[in-house]
Amino acid sequence: MMLTQILVSGLGLALPLLIAAVGELVSERAGVLNLSLEAMMLTGAFTAVTGTVLTGSAWLGAACGLCGGLLVGLAQTLLSVRLRADQIVVGVAANALALAATTFGARLLLDGDRGVTGFERLPIPVLADVPVIGPVLFAQTALGYLCAGVVLVTGLLLGPRTGWGLRIDATGEDAGAADWTGLPVRRIRALCILLTSALAGLGGAQLALSEVHAFSDNMTAGIGYLAVVAVIAGRWRTPGTVVAAVAFGVAQALQYALPAAGVGLPPAVLTMIPYLVAIVAVSGLAGASRAPSCLTVPFARA
Amino acid sequence: MRSMRSTRRALVAGGAVLVALLAGLALAALAGAGPATTIGALAEGMAGTPYAIGKSLNTAAVLMLVGAGFSLAHRAGLVNVGGEGQLCAGGIAATAVGTTLPAATPALVGVPLTLLAAFTAGGLWAAIAAVLLVRRGTSEIITTLLLNFVGLALVTLMVHEPTLLRQPVTSSETLPQSAPLVDGAHLPLLGVERSPATVAILLALIATAVIGVVSRHTPAGLRLRALGQSPAAAARLGVRAGPTRVVALSTAGAFAGLGGGLLVSTAPALLAEGFTSGFGFAGLVVGLLAGGSMLALTAAALLLAFLTSGGINLQLVAGVPSTTVAIIQSLIILLIAATATWAAGKKATR
Amino acid sequence: MGLLVLEDLGRSFGPVRALHGVSLTVAPGTVHCVLGENGAGKSTLCNLVYGGFAPTTGTMTLRGRRYRPGSPAQALAHGVAMVHQHFSLVPTMTVEQNLLLGGRGLRLRKADLGRRLERIAGEFGLTVPRDALVGDLPIGARQRVEIVKALLPGPDLVLLDEPTAVLDGPEIEALIATCRAVAASGRSVVLVTHKLGEVAAAADEATVLRSGTVAGGGPLAGDASVPRLLALMLGRDPDDLDPAVTAGLGVRVDVATGDATDVDAATGDATVGDAAAERAGGSAGREPVLRVEGITLGRAGRTRILADVSLTLAPGEIVGIAGVEGNGQSDLVHVLSGATRADAGTVHLGGVDITRATPARRTALGLGVVPEDRHHEAMVGAMSVAENLYLARLGDFRRFGLLDRRRLDTAAADVIASFDIRTSSPRTPMGSLSGGNQQKVVLAREVAIPGLKVLIAAQPTRGLDVGAVDHVLARLRAVAAGGVAVLVVSSELPELLALCDRIHVAYSGRLLGPVPAGGERAADEIGALMTGAGRSAAAPANEETGAVA
Repeated sequence: MMLTQILVSGLGLALPLLIAAVGELVSERAGVLNLSLEAMMLTGAFTAVTGTVLTGSAWLGAACGLCGGLLVGLAQTLLSVRLRADQIVVGVAANALALAATTFGARLLLDGDRGVTGFERLPIPVLADVPVIGPVLFAQTALGYLCAGVVLVTGLLLGPRTGWGLRIDATGEDAGAADWTGLPVRRIRALCILLTSALAGLGGAQLALSEVHAFSDNMTAGIGYLAVVAVIAGRWRTPGTVVAAVAFGVAQALQYALPAAGVGLPPAVLTMIPYLVAIVAVSGLAGASRAPSCLTVPFARA
Repeated sequence: MRSMRSTRRALVAGGAVLVALLAGLALAALAGAGPATTIGALAEGMAGTPYAIGKSLNTAAVLMLVGAGFSLAHRAGLVNVGGEGQLCAGGIAATAVGTTLPAATPALVGVPLTLLAAFTAGGLWAAIAAVLLVRRGTSEIITTLLLNFVGLALVTLMVHEPTLLRQPVTSSETLPQSAPLVDGAHLPLLGVERSPATVAILLALIATAVIGVVSRHTPAGLRLRALGQSPAAAARLGVRAGPTRVVALSTAGAFAGLGGGLLVSTAPALLAEGFTSGFGFAGLVVGLLAGGSMLALTAAALLLAFLTSGGINLQLVAGVPSTTVAIIQSLIILLIAATATWAAGKKATR
Repeated sequence: MGLLVLEDLGRSFGPVRALHGVSLTVAPGTVHCVLGENGAGKSTLCNLVYGGFAPTTGTMTLRGRRYRPGSPAQALAHGVAMVHQHFSLVPTMTVEQNLLLGGRGLRLRKADLGRRLERIAGEFGLTVPRDALVGDLPIGARQRVEIVKALLPGPDLVLLDEPTAVLDGPEIEALIATCRAVAASGRSVVLVTHKLGEVAAAADEATVLRSGTVAGGGPLAGDASVPRLLALMLGRDPDDLDPAVTAGLGVRVDVATGDATDVDAATGDATVGDAAAERAGGSAGREPVLRVEGITLGRAGRTRILADVSLTLAPGEIVGIAGVEGNGQSDLVHVLSGATRADAGTVHLGGVDITRATPARRTALGLGVVPEDRHHEAMVGAMSVAENLYLARLGDFRRFGLLDRRRLDTAAADVIASFDIRTSSPRTPMGSLSGGNQQKVVLAREVAIPGLKVLIAAQPTRGLDVGAVDHVLARLRAVAAGGVAVLVVSSELPELLALCDRIHVAYSGRLLGPVPAGGERAADEIGALMTGAGRSAAAPANEETGAVA
């Protein structure tokens, strides 16, 4: 029972992280590191809740969440692809901006009314009754199923064995060569960032509308960073990224599950766990593989 | 060529600050405070009273230390995003020393010991990332960033656990914070009347000057720069990349740690959650703004420090969320990053 | 009417005019050579035609229509393809994946690619290993992939930028044959090169570029055109130059008459090794100052990069390492300079074991290195000339712990004068100097190492203009004459023949030879070793690498 509980809340937290990480994987394969993933998710969560409050529709809210993520993605594209700004600096600053701006916006737009009904869980009949697996996998909200579907479709369409995937990989491995081959390097990168940001925005919406049912200041609290780390720990491959994302999600869920189970660790220790796991994961595993050669290197011809 | 570049860089820094401030005014207007009210509240919070000025100077000292450390590591080609965590490590170490010293410790002994502990702890904290970089090739950006979260949680742990640094729990009202540091560990005041300004600003000025001279006018500084610009060529010319990187990043962390020490040894002289107030990030902004010039670094630190104090007053007086200042800070970085290619005199992208 | 017509084409970068007033016409079904030494503007011209950047003046016309490619993609769409000097293949992908990159849509059309590859194999005799990783291929095979990739979309015009710089004799012949076959199929080829020998063998017509503009040209009439083209290209009397320089251009200069004739492009057979032969007698029998024994270097799970490499150098002798690039010679230099640690073997310098020594220790013991990758390994572009000259010895310029800039500048000014380095001041950023002057700075620094015993120069003349090549070669000779052992790694065989006492050949991670450079048949022997012909006698081949080719 305890295990099921941890897994249920673990996957609950893992799903937003997972969809963001799968998106980030696409961007990084194309050579762009979006540290701003945190900003995309937080903005997504904020616009999703605001949209839901304003329109009264959770679906319109989710759409707002996606657009909120896209907004950050547009900024990242303009800065890192068009203006060739340092991707790391832009990412760190965008996160700070999103944190401050959503806090500011919440004071202005949401004060006193931060809770939303959001999405209800929709257990799939029969499947949801399977012990352990059932409640973990088949009792998501409608938005949760959508997110899972999006993860699957992204993985299939942009995998390294498709034409699109191949061109994305070429852009990240050797942007110069890709350009000489006639690939529109900057457009590919821009589209990848926009895709990433849309997915991250959706992840933020999922977190706010399906899990927390509210917006609170800094509610992503580092999930976006963990999603970036999941890509590194997953060695820039989809299966590894998925495993790492779920592991980080479960590590996050321990914060709530262990005290509930009566394990007497100080909460601060539990807060640290996902980040310690992440540090070990990137230093232990990343050494064995290679990042895309052009990761974080802006492209300019000649 | 060179002068054109520095002109452009100054133009960019000035322009970015100006545009971000205007955006801040607009945001304040959104929150219902007209420009006159906003500027008035800001100005009063920044420099309206000796108290405000003193507070701002203390903050500026911390920002200068974090920023100067960032600049040093940046010279060696490293990006230290871990100011926040290093502040935490420094603050914890300073508290541990400052609360265990005998009550009668003279300031001449207590203050240096406390600050030395902070300096060392910050350095060791950053050394974790440095060693992982050199040994395992893990990006120092990722590790210093993740270590921020660990550091912040560590502070929470320290002030919540009575067995660690929490003050003796006497009732359910006891706040989760450390006991105050002994008097001998408090930073001496500058002695200006009614001003809380401490010697921190002097310490920071000295540290910044030393870093400036070392990085520009000594062989070690040039070797650091060579490593940052071209690791392979530097190695060919006898610079040992691994040890040099560890020293550079640890030194950056040590200066940030010292900043953390200054924070907890200034009134009310105790460790509490959130004591870093985001200065780790603001220090990074200062380092980026300065672009390697220690003069610019001092100016940027003063500007941000005064803005921060002003922002707090803005919330109190005009009801504008103090996060406005954080928005202005991050806008400044984004604007500078956006124009970096132009400022470096490179060809613009078509 | 021409397929491609350029009129008054020009391109400036800031105040620098890289190209100006260039007019030329490429006729359909011909091979048109653009000839010029390094820095003459050849690469700029290629970039303009292939859409790398836009011209600042002039017009281009393709098939009678105005042609203004905004990107390589647009150039390709107009039927213009290019084989790039530094290759446009992604090394971490397979050949097939690289060839599929040009396609569109979600599906990978492998069957379609197969059909088109068969057609190219039938028409031009070019085949490629589809499943091999590009990074594992030898340079020659990689270039074949590059050409196949250019031919895949069925272009009307193929640009080849310095395609022979990295190839050995037979590969150059094969390339020239391919060019002729492409022209015979009605397409046009623009062959951009600085080697005269190839022009005569391959081209119908030539245009000579000098200092960014057209110096002359016209239809070719075999070997008779060569002396005229050489004079046009150099803009000075070839007799003034070190014979090794002209040999490097694929031309033999008869010193008595000043007449130039082209040499056999395949072997670079040149009779300029006399000076070397004289010196060789003097240095023989001396105690070696550098002794390399059994150096082996592996790559995880793959081929061996260096296999049991041994080598000795005596004071005052110049030893060459020839060979097609990618046969391990760059890695050997890295092992000797201390940048890479070998898996097995030892290196002794003046009797001291330096196998595991740091680069700084090696320098202190008297080892100078002119690295192959000048921009990344030899210099810090953002730092000044003075700083680059003295970075390793900054301790000598300290006063009260601080750097004494004035003394540093004075010392640098002396070196700048004696090496004829063209720079406005010692404080000029190194990156703003021309390639030749940068190389002079690097050479000056390494030569000035106190107690220099051994100087290693890797591809020391690459990318330099003729004047700088002349200077660098003269310096190397002077250093050797002063009793320093010199090791020159170069893919320019004629240069080595003229410079060295004896020459090793790097082949598949092994060092074959040495062959005395002064011998009658030296060029032929080395040429044979370069294709691996002599390998069974010298050493067994590295099988994994051999299998890929």
